[in-house]
Amino acid sequence: MLRPVKMSRVVVAGSKDVIAPVIEKLHELRLLHIVNYNGSQPEFELGKPIGKAREYSEDLIKLRSIARYLDIKSKAPEKTYPESQVLSEMDNLLNNVGADVTATFERIVAIEAEVKSKQDQIKALGPLTVLPLPLESYYGYESLAVFVGSVASPVDADVARVSPVNEIHTASTKTGTVVAVFVPADKAGEVSSVLAEHGFSELSVPRLEGNVDSAIASLESNIKSLEGEKAPLQKKLVDMKKQYEDLMLATDEYLSIQTQKTEAPLRFAETANAFVIDGWVPSDQFNRLKSEVESAAGGKIDVQLIGDNEAEELVEHGEDVPTKIDNPGLVKPYELVTRLFAIPEYKEFDPSLLIFVFFPIMFGMILGDIGYGLMTLVVLILLKKKFRTDGWQQLINIVMIASVWSIIFGIFFGEIFGPLGLWGKIFGHLPEVQIELLKEEGLFFGEGVYGSLGRLGPLGIFPMDRLATNAVLMLIGVSIFIGVLHCSVGSILGIKTELNYGEKKHAYFERLPVLLFQLFFAVFLLGLIMGQMIMVGVAGIVIVAAIVMMVMGPEGPMGMAHVPFYVSNLISYLRLLAIGLASVGLAFAANQLAFYVIMPMLSGGAHDSAEFSIVAIIVGLIVLTVVHFINMLLGILSPFMHPLRLHYVEMFTKFYSAHGGGVEYSPFGHVRRFLKV
Amino acid sequence: MVVEAITDGGVLYGLLAVGAGLATGLAGIGAGVGEQGIGAAVVGVVAEEPGFLGKGLFLMLLPETLIIFGLAVSLILMFAWTPFA
Repeated sequence: MLRPVKMSRVVVAGSKDVIAPVIEKLHELRLLHIVNYNGSQPEFELGKPIGKAREYSEDLIKLRSIARYLDIKSKAPEKTYPESQVLSEMDNLLNNVGADVTATFERIVAIEAEVKSKQDQIKALGPLTVLPLPLESYYGYESLAVFVGSVASPVDADVARVSPVNEIHTASTKTGTVVAVFVPADKAGEVSSVLAEHGFSELSVPRLEGNVDSAIASLESNIKSLEGEKAPLQKKLVDMKKQYEDLMLATDEYLSIQTQKTEAPLRFAETANAFVIDGWVPSDQFNRLKSEVESAAGGKIDVQLIGDNEAEELVEHGEDVPTKIDNPGLVKPYELVTRLFAIPEYKEFDPSLLIFVFFPIMFGMILGDIGYGLMTLVVLILLKKKFRTDGWQQLINIVMIASVWSIIFGIFFGEIFGPLGLWGKIFGHLPEVQIELLKEEGLFFGEGVYGSLGRLGPLGIFPMDRLATNAVLMLIGVSIFIGVLHCSVGSILGIKTELNYGEKKHAYFERLPVLLFQLFFAVFLLGLIMGQMIMVGVAGIVIVAAIVMMVMGPEGPMGMAHVPFYVSNLISYLRLLAIGLASVGLAFAANQLAFYVIMPMLSGGAHDSAEFSIVAIIVGLIVLTVVHFINMLLGILSPFMHPLRLHYVEMFTKFYSAHGGGVEYSPFGHVRRFLKV
Repeated sequence: MVVEAITDGGVLYGLLAVGAGLATGLAGIGAGVGEQGIGAAVVGVVAEEPGFLGKGLFLMLLPETLIIFGLAVSLILMFAWTPFA
């Protein structure tokens, strides 16, 4: 669980006669993680595709371009198809349906381009509406130069100066002055520079005829009719998508599988008559692989296990052992968090189990509210039915487990939609007299709301109010304690990881001192708080010893430079308290606002809930709902992000990915989703 | 009168609260300034290579510890340190 599955290196060698049934069998078994042959040995050459590899990949390309036109993306399957049905419908799908889809799509694209060009023309014609000239008079001259555009200042006088023969039309619009200047062609250069001085910017006049307004009107009616043609075409594509979506995805899957099989020999080494496949297989599956492949090939094959020493040598020469992480169902969703960071190397630990233990507790401690927890749970159960892809399911499962913890912590904290909220209304408040008694005993944790359940904890301190002074102090301690535990587990794994790699010096002089430092830093603080100077002294000595060990370690005196980092790692766990406090604060404010400000104010200063007017209660409830809703959204996001950070930054740095990410075990084969098995 | 006012617990407590606020607030600004550059860079990298998201997140969240330091100081000021007890 904590370690990736043990793998064995195998070599499959056989006669080329049986290459097809062997590939078929390997594909079906989905056990062998193939190591691609890189062509480095002169006796062997790279294998060549078998069967109809080219046809399959051509069909696949054709299919995918149709799928792109129909905007079909991978999704959760609604229907599965037998291979025979896919085969019988494939021809029709690729040719008839494909041609129809392509033609429709291309027509839509053409219409869109035409509409765009007509819209551009309308835009260009806009400024010309103020000039009295028909459109054909702007172009088609041999001896005349025409300038049409906007200017910043009147141009008549200056143009007349350089070209006495001219015709100028000027009109002003809301945005500036538009001119059309006609001069003899030989004066064009001079007039152009004169116009430039007046801030002339040219308009391109579309080559149309007739009155400008009627030209615009006809363009607009053209656009309308084009749009009218486009709408049914788009609807047709949508309908076709609905009709063919699953079948196309199934066909895609079928063709992918066929391409995978026919192109598999590209990854093998070959001689004239034989082929060799290198690969990794989970050790406990080797016998199954051997017997199945051998029976499929009718004895013309040899499946051999390579000894550990020889395999180790291959690894040293740069071959990656694939990592197969394997966890029980409940832990599985948390592999998502691991994967998001990096796949562990074969010799490293798989932290998913630890994330499963710590992450939900941290989430729960931050959110810690029965109301929010239940709401989240209900929403997630609904979402789980809606979002069916693997990634979403994993994410939803992660938060679901976490929200159960937040309900548990909600009971500790006595919060249902914040303090002063429903807990007090449901379970009642503790009488003043009893609070006074508790204060004398030193057990009073602030002016919180106490339920009739009384105090559940060992010291009789639950439920407690998180906003109260003593509770804050206690939670600071709990946060740091969780931090020490969390980081120490990380450090222990770090020591073991280094030992797995045979790096004893790193294990004992880099990782071990960190573990000692963390543990005794906690003892040191505890000693200070409890006033036990012996504890402080002993812890101090061990801390100094740990720092000395770091200096003796592989990094030398630089090792000491990491000490502040480890201290800040521990302090960082204060966020477990802090972020929770922020959301409690907001919930508290919402409840105060609704029950103690808005409701009494709107009912004319009434103090008892029985006296509140209906309007006051309605307004109060609206405010309550809005603020709690916002708080809950924030309250799901940050309790998720921050524990994630505590894992990635504080814990993973102690043991994980120091040697670079691993290669995930991906056995040769295909998971059938749309095809019936 | 001034001396009385200062030695009076109320004013001191007020100053403590101001100090606590500054500690968290300024640390927050610092963390924000630190994160903005990293955040922009990470978004850029993730756009090109989505597999970098986890590591990018890791880098982006590093400066967030700063604000926790500020907060720790504030908590000590507000709850643990009692100069006029």
